[in-house]
Amino acid sequence: MIMTSKQKLLLVDDEIAITDRLAPFLSRAGFDVKVVADGESALTEIVSFSPDLVILDVLMPLLDGREVLRQLRQKGDWTPVILLTQVGESTERAMALIEGADDYINKPFDSNELVARIRSVLRRTSPGQPPLTVAERLRSNELVVDRTKRRAYLDSKEINLSPKAMSLLEYMITHPDELLTRERILDAVWGWDYPIGTRTIDTRVAELRRVLGDDPSDPQYIETVPGYGYRFVGKVEKTT
Amino acid sequence: MKWWSWILSLIPAGLSISVSILATNEIIPNPVIFLRGNLAALVSRGGVTISIITIVLYLIWNQSQKKHEKTILDMQNQANEDRRRFLQRLDHELKNPLTAIRAGLTNINYQPLEEYVAGEVSAVLAQVMRINRLVADLRKLAALEITPLERITVNMAELLTDVISVLEDQANTEGRRLSLSLPNAPWPLPDVDGDADLLLLAIHNLLDNSIKFTAPGDTIEVRAFDDGSDIVIEIADTGPGIPENEINRVWEELYRGKKARGVPGSGLGLPLVRAIIEKHGGNIALRSRPDQGTVFSVRLPAS
Repeated sequence: MIMTSKQKLLLVDDEIAITDRLAPFLSRAGFDVKVVADGESALTEIVSFSPDLVILDVLMPLLDGREVLRQLRQKGDWTPVILLTQVGESTERAMALIEGADDYINKPFDSNELVARIRSVLRRTSPGQPPLTVAERLRSNELVVDRTKRRAYLDSKEINLSPKAMSLLEYMITHPDELLTRERILDAVWGWDYPIGTRTIDTRVAELRRVLGDDPSDPQYIETVPGYGYRFVGKVEKTT
Repeated sequence: MKWWSWILSLIPAGLSISVSILATNEIIPNPVIFLRGNLAALVSRGGVTISIITIVLYLIWNQSQKKHEKTILDMQNQANEDRRRFLQRLDHELKNPLTAIRAGLTNINYQPLEEYVAGEVSAVLAQVMRINRLVADLRKLAALEITPLERITVNMAELLTDVISVLEDQANTEGRRLSLSLPNAPWPLPDVDGDADLLLLAIHNLLDNSIKFTAPGDTIEVRAFDDGSDIVIEIADTGPGIPENEINRVWEELYRGKKARGVPGSGLGLPLVRAIIEKHGGNIALRSRPDQGTVFSVRLPAS
């Protein structure tokens, strides 16, 4: 008999009302779940429980989520982390990725959406390897994105993008091969759901395609997934 | 101190000194010859003293004026800061319970439920989603007050066409005559420097409002034109109008007019629109007559 061990999740949030509801849901979804309520215990449990993924609330007493993430990455620990953000500010979300989170989701969220994110992060990351989200420069075909400078280059020539299109490109290139629904893109890049938000996204994607010279019928970078959203199909690698 | 106030306050000194010089040199005839020297000195000293007193008094007055202005500015900044913190805390304190409630309801939904219970659960979930939207709107308002605008060149003519084409297809628009008029001669509508998403949101909210408050058969006109250095966008409808005593209150957060009962909305739509327009250096006004309709006019600086 082959034993497939369950994947382990560490859920870190000081709100018991949330963890009490979420932990059973995650167990039912097939994960082995452990709950802790503060940053200090999170750091200890990441070592002793060695979870496959950590769901980390940002606002916590004593040691907040950002600090836990920072200390973890400084030690060279690349356990995948999904941040539960509260303040929906775009700068805060962009920082979360730079600081080494694999993904983030805004509260309040749908439990099913959280499970979908967990699965896609687990599928994307390879154990012990830094995720694409922490790379300063990423390359895909002729496109290079410098995330610290917030600039993009095509064939070594700098391309001109609006700030929103740049944030969108950054999110897409750090989550390649994943189905990015319009709802998820709105939540991640815009931070709120917009009336006619889908139109907003389509406009920015059109801008990206125009600047990148990408043909939607034979995409090198951004593929349309009819009825759902988009997928970044270019092969992405870290570069210097 | 302004240049003219220097001149004004130096007039007594100047006058008195020139009078005393003139007197000492006997250009001005003076019958009391022996007093001439002393009198001249006295006059010039008096004049200089008056000038100095005037300058000092002016400086003191000016300083207290500045202090007063500064106090008002400080109080305004403090009030804004308090409001921002309040909104952020409110946002935070609402989000955690909302997350827990949504997760709990999702858990219940995974159980086999009696029809009655299932109905109740989905009704409660709908209300939770309503609070969700309210919190999202509050967050937008708070974020607007603190984050700097992303400024790109926005083609307002395109944006207006876009919003209208989306709303035309919306089910509740049915029966309204929706029209857009854009200038072509002598030149097309100028662009605006600003955040395209926020401007889209503002125009969408205004137009969505008009649709919500009108009935099939009503007319909604969107007109845009330029007015020197500004562009003006008018959104006019033949709806029920806003009663006079409510006109100024529609900009208040969470305010809902008498006629708005039964119309879906958070009461944050118009405050959000105003915040967006003002953040772009523009302004918004409204005119309304009961039973005739309402027109909102948005004024934005052209780029």
